[in-house]
Amino acid sequence: MKKKRFVYPLALVAVSLLLLLAACTPESRSSSGTPTAATGEEPKVTLDFWTFWGSETRRPIIEKIIDDFNQSQDRIMVKHTYLPFGDIWTKNLASIAAGNPADVIVNDYADVNLRASKNQNTDLSSYLAEDDIESRFYPELWNNVLYEDKAYALPFNTDTRLLYYNKEAFREAGLDPEQPPQTWAELEEYAQKLDKKSENGYEQVGFYPLWGDFGVDSWLINGDGGNGYFDESDQAAINTPGKVATLEWLKSWQDRLGRQTVDAMKADFGSGVSDPFISGKVAMYIQTGTYNTQIEEFGQDLDIGVAPIPEREAGSGHWSSGGGFVVEIPKGAAHPEEAWEFIKYLTDVDAQKYWAMENFDNVANIEAAEDPEANENPVYQASVENLADTKVFQVPLSASGYKDLINPHTDAVFLDKETPEQALEGAEKDVQALMSKNQ
Amino acid sequence: MKTTAQARAPKNARKKLSKLARREELQGYLFILPWLIGLFGITLFPMLFSLYGSFTDYDVTSRMNFIGIDNYARMFADDPLFWKSLYNTLYYVALMVPLTTIGSVLLALMLNEKIAGMRVFRTIYYLPAVLSGVGVYFLWIQLLNPSTGLINTMLGWAGIPGPAWLSDPMWTKPAIIMMKLWSVGGGMLLYLASLQGVPSQLYESAKLDGASAFRRFWHITLPMISPVIFFDVVTSFIGGFQIFQEGYVMTDSGNGGPMGSLLFYNLYMWNQAFGLFNMGYAMAMAWVLFVIVLVLTLINLRMSKRWVYYEGGDD
Repeated sequence: MKKKRFVYPLALVAVSLLLLLAACTPESRSSSGTPTAATGEEPKVTLDFWTFWGSETRRPIIEKIIDDFNQSQDRIMVKHTYLPFGDIWTKNLASIAAGNPADVIVNDYADVNLRASKNQNTDLSSYLAEDDIESRFYPELWNNVLYEDKAYALPFNTDTRLLYYNKEAFREAGLDPEQPPQTWAELEEYAQKLDKKSENGYEQVGFYPLWGDFGVDSWLINGDGGNGYFDESDQAAINTPGKVATLEWLKSWQDRLGRQTVDAMKADFGSGVSDPFISGKVAMYIQTGTYNTQIEEFGQDLDIGVAPIPEREAGSGHWSSGGGFVVEIPKGAAHPEEAWEFIKYLTDVDAQKYWAMENFDNVANIEAAEDPEANENPVYQASVENLADTKVFQVPLSASGYKDLINPHTDAVFLDKETPEQALEGAEKDVQALMSKNQ
Repeated sequence: MKTTAQARAPKNARKKLSKLARREELQGYLFILPWLIGLFGITLFPMLFSLYGSFTDYDVTSRMNFIGIDNYARMFADDPLFWKSLYNTLYYVALMVPLTTIGSVLLALMLNEKIAGMRVFRTIYYLPAVLSGVGVYFLWIQLLNPSTGLINTMLGWAGIPGPAWLSDPMWTKPAIIMMKLWSVGGGMLLYLASLQGVPSQLYESAKLDGASAFRRFWHITLPMISPVIFFDVVTSFIGGFQIFQEGYVMTDSGNGGPMGSLLFYNLYMWNQAFGLFNMGYAMAMAWVLFVIVLVLTLINLRMSKRWVYYEGGDD
């Protein structure tokens, strides 16, 4: 009897919960093809396109591209949804799990294979079989969208890192501003000539390899013949002679300048006018091609040059590192065929050329990237040429999360807690342990 | 609604409930319905789901196979980052809880003095507790700047060369704890309220007996405010284990800082869940943390009987 007392209210709760759930269940998604019955034409399909490009510079560019696409045909209507960078991936994950994802999303280049293995994006091979557009992309970028030899995304943009140098500082130091350093030895020699020291410390540092946008990972590629942390057969290749030598060389820079100087100066670096290269605190600085737009905005008076990353020794290769973003169709999207039409457009010459010219961003489409009109800007041109030496790596699935294991070891080198050899040996051991667990 | 009389009544008393009483009962449930929905839908169901999920290889989008205790076994036997993140979190909690407790008691004692302009001081010391979130972290990144930050500048006046707070793994966690000490104003307010509730006749009679200021503090003030101390300790313990944002915001892209010294438990759990999609593993981590916090809180409760004094309590 006593029990019965609770049955009724509990049933009430259960019913309310059901009602609540029913209310939340999307009967028909707002973004999915609501027919426009206005005229007697074929109903239009509306696509929801998620990007994190909401800035004053990028938003108008991507929206113009979308607009052009909408004008170019009357079957598909694309709607742009901006999501902040911090939210877009978790939202994507949640919406795929809930079964109502975006139709197209801009996503990180690095984990296409991981997402594919987790059923988060759509296999494009059936579309590619009818309409093979592989050849429009840089092969390095194309390899990156493959999972078990099938494409799960299309490369959209990419980037590469270059050595920016201050020509005025070169002249002051008696260096030829048209002869940027080619090798590590020259880089060191030039850097020391460019150092300006006063009693309060450095007024100008010629160069420090780990400032800017070329971290330890990138240097290890540069100094090890363009090889990343994993070899062709997806085995960890971290503790190699080339990488040990590179790490030793990087450490020698810190030893020369002093850890305190490096830490203290780095903590003062800001962006815009307080950017270390733009404000003249550093004479040579490695950054992406788009960094030039910051120089044009905040350092109009700077006389700068760009060069490929110096090589370890003549002939070892000016290897640089790259990344970028892809466009993909989340798994379970309602209109994959229309979405395919749209991502095909996004990666075709017109859209890609527009993106490149407005942003000075490197694009994945070779014809657009090498378009003479876009290449009138010398820095952009240098970045396009640099793509030939730029490595973009796909991480083996079993090693997902490997960076959290490598970073503490390389950090330890710069804190004098491990030698470069110990660090890379330890890192390789840890990553191998991770991979064997995941196999 | 259920009175003692009813409970003691024979079983068939239920039938005697009038129509009005029944309706009132129903209305009562209706009123608490929003809360019940919250409890079942938003708390209980996700908790049970995550408990089950912790025994699976759930990755949100492609699989959810039962794998027994594999996640737990891997965590304890095979994952160095699990231990590192647990160590970082325990280190932080072990220092943060006593320091902020002592800090806020001392601050409350000082602000309990009756001197002119005390309201202004109270406001000033409480202010940091109002500020929160990412803005504060950026402020502290500035303050902790090794060369131009205010903290090292002040240490420099005393002739002490300040450390590179956020780049030296030895100093990253102390830096975060220092940041937490800055906002003890919230706890201070609780203590201040309870200090003002200590009856003044206790102090008067102690004074007459010749008790020194320290003895008065030790034997009167502390016992009288001990329930608030207990509350503060328990809540800061629980809050301390939840540390996440500091490690995420104050390191480069949330990578855990120099040598992983700011890789806190929840940050690592978040990386596993949303970076690597190892949701089942992250769920298992959440349950391990839950058990740790539960056990510590139970120990706290048990210990409290020895030092917490409840006026008019039953023992």
